[in-house]
Amino acid sequence: MLSKKKTVDALVAAWQQDAAMAERIEAIRTIEATAATYAPLPSDMQPSLVKALHARGIEQLYTHQREAFDYAMAGQSFTAITPTASGKSYCYHLPVLQTILTNRHARALYLFPTKALAQDQKSDLHALIEAMDEEILSYTYDGDTAPGIRQKVRKAGHIIMTNPDMLHSGILPHHTKWVSLFENLQYVVIDELHTYKGVFGSHVAHVIRRLKRICAFYSSDPLFICTSATIKNPKELAESLTNTAHALIAKSGAPTGKKTFVFYNPPMLHPAFGVRRSAVLEVRDIAKQLYDAHIQTIVFAKSRVRVEMLVTYLQAFTKHQLQDTTIRGYRGGYLPSERRVIEKGLRDGEIRTVVSTNALELGVDIGQLQACIMTGYPGNIASAWQQAGRAGRRQDSALIIYVAQSTALDQYMIEHPDFFFGSEPEEARISPDNMLILMDHLKCAAFELPFRTNDLYGEFHIEELLDYLVDEHVLFKTSDTWHWMNERFPAHDISLRSAAQENVVIIDQSVPAHTRVIGEMDTYSAMTLLHEEAIYMHQGVQFQVETLDWDEKKAFVRQVDVDYFTDANLAVELKVMSEDKELVLSDAKIGFGDVSLLAQATIFKKIRFDSHDNIGSGPIHLPPMEMHTTATWLSFTPPSQLSKEQLTDVLHYVAYTINSFIPLFIHCDRADVHVVPQVKAVHNELPTIFVYDSYPGGIGLSEKVYDMWRPLLEKAREHITRCRCENGCPACIGAQATFDEPKQQAIRVMTQLRELFN
Amino acid sequence: MSYEKKLMQMKKMIKKEPTAPTQKSSYEKPAPPLYSERWEQAGLTRIDNDFGTVFKYEVTYDEQYRHGQYALGMLDDVMMRWEEAGLTHPYATDSDETLLFFDTETTGLKGVGTHIFLLGFLERRGKNFVLTQYVLADPAHEAAMFFESKLWQREATVVTYNGKSFDWPQLQTRWTFSQGVIPRLREQRQIDLLHSSKRLWKNDLAQMKLKQVEEQKLGFVREDDIPGHLAPIIYMDAIKSGETSSLLKVLKHNEWDLLSLITLYIHLSITLFEEATNETVVAYTNVGKWYADLKQHARSEEVLTNVTQSYEAYETFTAHYYLGLQRKKRAQYDEALASFLEGRKAEDMRISLQSYEEAAKIYEHTYKAYDDAYQLTTAALQKVHIDRTLPWKSKEAFEQRLQHRLKRLMKKREIN
Repeated sequence: MLSKKKTVDALVAAWQQDAAMAERIEAIRTIEATAATYAPLPSDMQPSLVKALHARGIEQLYTHQREAFDYAMAGQSFTAITPTASGKSYCYHLPVLQTILTNRHARALYLFPTKALAQDQKSDLHALIEAMDEEILSYTYDGDTAPGIRQKVRKAGHIIMTNPDMLHSGILPHHTKWVSLFENLQYVVIDELHTYKGVFGSHVAHVIRRLKRICAFYSSDPLFICTSATIKNPKELAESLTNTAHALIAKSGAPTGKKTFVFYNPPMLHPAFGVRRSAVLEVRDIAKQLYDAHIQTIVFAKSRVRVEMLVTYLQAFTKHQLQDTTIRGYRGGYLPSERRVIEKGLRDGEIRTVVSTNALELGVDIGQLQACIMTGYPGNIASAWQQAGRAGRRQDSALIIYVAQSTALDQYMIEHPDFFFGSEPEEARISPDNMLILMDHLKCAAFELPFRTNDLYGEFHIEELLDYLVDEHVLFKTSDTWHWMNERFPAHDISLRSAAQENVVIIDQSVPAHTRVIGEMDTYSAMTLLHEEAIYMHQGVQFQVETLDWDEKKAFVRQVDVDYFTDANLAVELKVMSEDKELVLSDAKIGFGDVSLLAQATIFKKIRFDSHDNIGSGPIHLPPMEMHTTATWLSFTPPSQLSKEQLTDVLHYVAYTINSFIPLFIHCDRADVHVVPQVKAVHNELPTIFVYDSYPGGIGLSEKVYDMWRPLLEKAREHITRCRCENGCPACIGAQATFDEPKQQAIRVMTQLRELFN
Repeated sequence: MSYEKKLMQMKKMIKKEPTAPTQKSSYEKPAPPLYSERWEQAGLTRIDNDFGTVFKYEVTYDEQYRHGQYALGMLDDVMMRWEEAGLTHPYATDSDETLLFFDTETTGLKGVGTHIFLLGFLERRGKNFVLTQYVLADPAHEAAMFFESKLWQREATVVTYNGKSFDWPQLQTRWTFSQGVIPRLREQRQIDLLHSSKRLWKNDLAQMKLKQVEEQKLGFVREDDIPGHLAPIIYMDAIKSGETSSLLKVLKHNEWDLLSLITLYIHLSITLFEEATNETVVAYTNVGKWYADLKQHARSEEVLTNVTQSYEAYETFTAHYYLGLQRKKRAQYDEALASFLEGRKAEDMRISLQSYEEAAKIYEHTYKAYDDAYQLTTAALQKVHIDRTLPWKSKEAFEQRLQHRLKRLMKKREIN
């Protein structure tokens, strides 16, 4: 049989010769390889450390690694921007090991966003320590750590590798068992800093404040070392997360290989409506070409549903082979054991194509992949670069294929390929000020150590809050001290990861005698993904939700084989509770403040595979979710030329476009902010567009948008104006036209709004 | 939602400032609580030391005092007996040792934020037994209470019920908060009686709560006792309102716990000497097994032999199995075989199957009686097949082991 193996370069060359492909490829950009810049090993580096580096063939450091070492030795906390494969772990291993070699009592705490990453780094660190031939003890400490060795880890471990969740509920509330760690803690390493954004980042910011408080109690004052992928504000994020001043190492000295970027736009199906062929189907076809050419590929999709759809499509290539495991899915919601098997398969090369959500953006070690396909723009530049970094980590030529969807942001990206290369990455925001999060962790902090009058908690004055907790019978105040005085163990009531703090467990009851748990999902997503009759996909297998027990948070599913998937609608009602900021323009008003919100899943649609036709629908019966959060809004005098119906539609168009472009300005997950239009807002009876944070209490995203209405509107208007469709399409104003000149009306209203700022 | 709403309103009140390194202030002695007088009127003694205030409650018992079926003074007898016996056992004590019976009451279950609000001690003093309880005046006075307990100074063997994993570690945890203020907590020898309750009565008692043990083994029934889980709320209320009536019930509860600790120690010791009259065959079999695990083989064999001779045959199958192990160890194969053949009839499937295996081993290796070994193994396999009690994992393990043996025996039978 003829081998169809091809190199990346040969495949791209073939595509350029192919007329159909060439038409769809809107741009090809190549980043040439760059050479490394080096600095010598520090002269005072301990001999055993030098020996270990030499054993690995390292005679000199990349400049950023040397800079890191020097900052640490000077006692300065720092943050290093480290692209994939730049040897980032040396930025912290070297100073930490150097310090331990000179002071055997010194301790370090490494934080990784997930357990898997800590496990991964452990083997790496162990190998380094082994090459040094020194007695330095490093351990992972998490739910998997055997009870038998926990005591040893606590007492004797020089380097403890854990995750924020374990620190939050397993270490800090038991700090008296970790006295030798806290008394001697010299370094706190925070890897993958950029992942600490939004709600999770805000929680972790408080976990770090609690950690620092406990260190102060034991008279230690550790340095913080953070490493981050490229984001706009690494220093600001690190400082906000750790409440400590940081130096920044922005330039990497590591070499990079050649990367070829292909910007692929699916063919137009209905030019008038601006509808293109589904990106998912295009990705399927491209992935098949790569699979046949034996190019190991990772396919990124934005949602779990997309991942499962793609796995289903792709596994169809190999269905004639028994027990084929060369194509796999990988995403949150799989059980850890399942994930370990997949990671290993990738490293071994046994898996040739993997389809993933952003779970694999993180530095899980899966060895070299040759190509990466993005199904749609991942929502922000930082993520896009992270995904692209998955290809060609350790080899020369890598291929990155961006397949655009019909949405506004995706089309903007494909029209502006240089935006991807030239523009600044987005900001990552956290909000330690969120009252609910602050209060949660204040309780934990009060449990861990009593507060005294005039004590600050992090940067916060908290006397009023502590007195409130006294009223709530949580604390007890003596003359100058607030003591914990409650039976609860507060850390157990607080989860760092999920907004709703409770997950719905998914139970497969296909075989009645052997029901089994196959995954879990947060409640907010469950409203639209696990309602009764929803099709839930897991490893490409379809399950239908038979019963959703909302009170018990259990979804019972059964395996089915149907030719459609489901898509649900969420209706939202908003009320302004208080207005904290206000900007009055000539004919409009911008506000920021607290809102109360009522979200309810209403109906779902069944959509056929391949054609994506709507083939049925049904109601969803779930209780509404109520939430208090922060929002910014823009209210304006209704334009006289529009009827009420027209205005409703136009507002939806404007909201749709704005929603698409928010990720250009702030680094957040798509679901972190929402845009909702109201023809007659309850608080002022004016047409209003709301942008709200989708987490109770808000996490500072809409507050940021409050300052960005003008560039946001400009960007949106410019995009609609330039869109080549006739009457509006998914790439600009979204929905189908219901009256004449919808696009023109939208442009008119947006022009009007933009002019308010002049 | 109202909680959320309240918090949102409080948002305006939060001020921030850049954090400066905080200076650790030296210890300031807290003022005595406002309700001191009321607590004194209720019968508590107020003690002021360099670190604050603590309340003390003391009761003296005559050595003749009976708590359930034992007089407290019997403690001397059993300690003497331990010394004479010269056995190695975790509960063995000698007359030089000071036994300090110890129990705490706390405001919660675990973690550094759980306060110990009551330290209860009971010990021999001269002709009498003295109960001493230290009550935390309020959380600011923790160092005063710990200091007064003298646990940093005196040497004693601390006897508890579940103290090894709860009371003592929690005391260590809370003591850490006063580090640098009062001397370090002294490490003491620990005797945890929960451990023995589990060993001796795991097949006898449904629950190992001290209350159950009291009623079924020590002949003591509490009247008007508060449930232990209410103690935290009662204490919190007492320091908020100064109200003592419920607090005194917590003290009483703790007092009963301590009295029961003494009589439980007496009872367990007597059981270990085989002299408790109200103990069951199950408990005595467990005593024999315990000595075996402690490598006190002669003593183990003695106890188990006694069991097999003193009780009805149908009650002693399990004891026979353990006795068989002891005899096998001493190469008394005939006796061991007899015991294992009895052990087969044990109700406990595991014991029964292990008896089959052991007997088969003796037939096979010692007597080279392959047919007998084969028959026993086949019978054991049948038992495994019809079993409905074993966990899947051990069922599988038995099956594998027995099949393996069967195969080997078949070969040996062919050769011979």
